[in-house]
Amino acid sequence: MPEVLVTIYEVFIRTYKGFLEAGLLTIEITAIAVVIGTLLGLLFALMKISNSKILQTIANLYINIIRGTPLIVQIMFLYYGITSIIILSNFWAGAIALGIHNGAYIAEIFRGSIQGVDRGQREASLALGMNRTQTMRRIIFPQALRRAIPPLGNQFIITLKDSSLVYVIGVSELFGLANREAASSFLPLETFLVVGLYYLVLVMIFTALLRWYENKLDVDK
Amino acid sequence: MGKFKMMLLMLAASVLLLAACGKDDDGKASGSDSGSKDAGYELVKKGKFTYAASGVYKPFSYEDNGKLTGFDIEIGEAIADKLGLDPVPVTNPFETILQGLVAKKYDAIIGSMAYTKKRAEQADFTEPYYYSGGMIWVSKDNEDIKTPEDLEGKKIGVVAQSTYEEPAKELSDNIQYYSSDVVALKDLTVENRLDAVITADIVGYEAIDNGFAIKEVGKPLWVEQPSIAVRKDNKELTEAIDKALKELVDEGKYKEISEKWFDRDLLDIDLEGVELLE
Repeated sequence: MPEVLVTIYEVFIRTYKGFLEAGLLTIEITAIAVVIGTLLGLLFALMKISNSKILQTIANLYINIIRGTPLIVQIMFLYYGITSIIILSNFWAGAIALGIHNGAYIAEIFRGSIQGVDRGQREASLALGMNRTQTMRRIIFPQALRRAIPPLGNQFIITLKDSSLVYVIGVSELFGLANREAASSFLPLETFLVVGLYYLVLVMIFTALLRWYENKLDVDK
Repeated sequence: MGKFKMMLLMLAASVLLLAACGKDDDGKASGSDSGSKDAGYELVKKGKFTYAASGVYKPFSYEDNGKLTGFDIEIGEAIADKLGLDPVPVTNPFETILQGLVAKKYDAIIGSMAYTKKRAEQADFTEPYYYSGGMIWVSKDNEDIKTPEDLEGKKIGVVAQSTYEEPAKELSDNIQYYSSDVVALKDLTVENRLDAVITADIVGYEAIDNGFAIKEVGKPLWVEQPSIAVRKDNKELTEAIDKALKELVDEGKYKEISEKWFDRDLLDIDLEGVELLE
């Protein structure tokens, strides 16, 4: 056992520079995916709760297709599948696929939080003379956002870990690098253990930031 | 109405974001497929020779201190030099490496990909740039498997889409697929997981040198001809690479690279009476 620990330590020392760079790439992809996902999620959540049947149908179609197919298929499709329409670098294909994937889940998080705000709030603000946009912006949305923070944070953590799947299109993020490191060092066990630790640390940092933000927003109240 | 306006705004924002991505992309990574011409052949990136390998096939292509290196990578560099282009080695998982070539993600595959008739339907191949034997590997303590016939019903590990896949299927109907030879060979040393792995002789010996408790079974099953794959619509490039390869061999540069990695000339092999994989 101690021998394994020594090897793990050696792998860590030998690879940390590469892994820090790869970790940055993981963070970049995750950040882009989170931004795209949040924008799409907001857009499609609003479409889904709108009064327009067409907008509702489009939103449902998007959410069902994306949630109904695996992320790895979506990444492959965006990178290899639609090259006759648009040619993306593997980094952007991965980040955008991850963002689109996220959007479907985030849309449902937003819809749930918006619809979860008590009806009385809306009726009261309309009765006070606010129009529907004002009601949404001043009354419903701030309350919905607070409710949305915990599930959103959860979704972002999932995104961070899901970003490892973009290795299939050759992006040198954490997992992709680990895969190649394992092959060149002939030490798969130790290398994957080390990369697991990197993900764990990233998620822990993110969780701490999230908790701080939740406290700031007083989500519990 | 207000809600609708907000939605339009969000939509516009997303479109802008995507457009920005697209622009950035054109600028650096994948380049354009509009056909920038360099000496008559189409290149993914102007002035650059972009070639792919799996990056998980030591000593042919692997990462050393974050830098892609190996025999395949150096052959690519030497060819790029001959073509007067900058070498840009990239990695792509082997399972989808041909798809990536067809989808114009790179100009060529210099990734130890053996010529086969089936692959030649999707891409053009140059003359072989080395010869390699397909070999059966088992755990060091394995006493049951002594000939290929002993593999019947046994669990064989192979890299998906490799030339070892078909022969493995002929020897047994119990196949496990991997994306890296190293992981497959490692599984040999785990009890009850795999009975055998079929991969190149050189890769197996490299694993033994790195402390893997494995051994080979008999002689190579066949000899295959790793070649450089180029898109079919890019005949000029295929010809140019073939010409460059021939020059490298004639000038002794090839021998130099080969001896650096393997202590021998990989092209210097007696093919008399040897079965060549097609």
